Amino acid sequence: MSRPPGRKQENHKISRDLFVLTYGALVAQLCKDYERDEDVNSCLDRMGYGIGIRLIDDFLAHSDVKKCRSYSETADVIAQVAFKMYLGVTPSVSCCSATGNEFSLILDKNPLVDFVEELPVERASLCYCNLLCGVIRGALEMVHLAAEVTFLQDRLRGDAVTEIRIAFVRKAEDRKHKRK
Amino acid sequence: VLVSIICSQNYPLYIRSVPTENELKFHYTVHTSLDVVDEKISAMGKALVDQRELYLGLLYPTEDYKVYGYVTNSKVKFVMVVDSSNTALRDNEIRSMFRKLHNSYTDIMCNPFYNPGDRINSRAFDNMVNSMMVQVC
Repeated sequence: MSRPPGRKQENHKISRDLFVLTYGALVAQLCKDYERDEDVNSCLDRMGYGIGIRLIDDFLAHSDVKKCRSYSETADVIAQVAFKMYLGVTPSVSCCSATGNEFSLILDKNPLVDFVEELPVERASLCYCNLLCGVIRGALEMVHLAAEVTFLQDRLRGDAVTEIRIAFVRKAEDRKHKRK
Repeated sequence: VLVSIICSQNYPLYIRSVPTENELKFHYTVHTSLDVVDEKISAMGKALVDQRELYLGLLYPTEDYKVYGYVTNSKVKFVMVVDSSNTALRDNEIRSMFRKLHNSYTDIMCNPFYNPGDRINSRAFDNMVNSMMVQVC
């Protein structure tokens, strides 16, 4: 998120505090612009989608991952390589459906919420990190894997851990269906 | 014992006292101590502001209690009122308490949902202040 255009080969790092504060300012501004939590969440998701469709090329260029042969490999790569590269944390992956299409990423440390203590009272259903869901969804779509990404649990809303659910949608047979 | 944070426009962002009776008297004390703080700030003038000069020290002692002050570079003032009977409190401890207050205050400022100038409603901050005041009493 911090790469300026025309960068050279070396990794250009910025201060993590600056990034976290910028993200916080973004969410706070969206909260001022929209009254309903759902609007803020969908706006964050759209923004994340825009980032994801562009980030995937950067990711593939910088990491040497081979083509993933199964959904679980994909989820592992997202957790262990992508999250590590961009956020510096490695969530743990668990598969939670019999058909092997749904995976959960469990984050015990989320750097984006470092400074946020808790959500304000009037924003109880805000998904603070919904941008991440959009990023994952956009990135997967550019490699032709349709998925639905949502937050199942969120530390900011009082749950024990932060859990992101990635549900791969079966492609090829039914082009039109939206839900799994 | 009382802890209060006053913003640069001289209205309180946070006031908390442990024995909760006599709160009005404490509010008044904090208000009057603001004058002393302003005097000390203007007296410093062009002095280089380092960590030591953020701590203003004993503002004034009265019959029952002592008032300590600390001001940040953004003119946010922390005022602490302690009982005079509590002679065990040394300068170092007061300084470290102010430093902890300052650190917690900066954490609150970093919260994107906090607007500067709002009253401070954070639970973590309350807990920190409570534990500090319990130590003093």
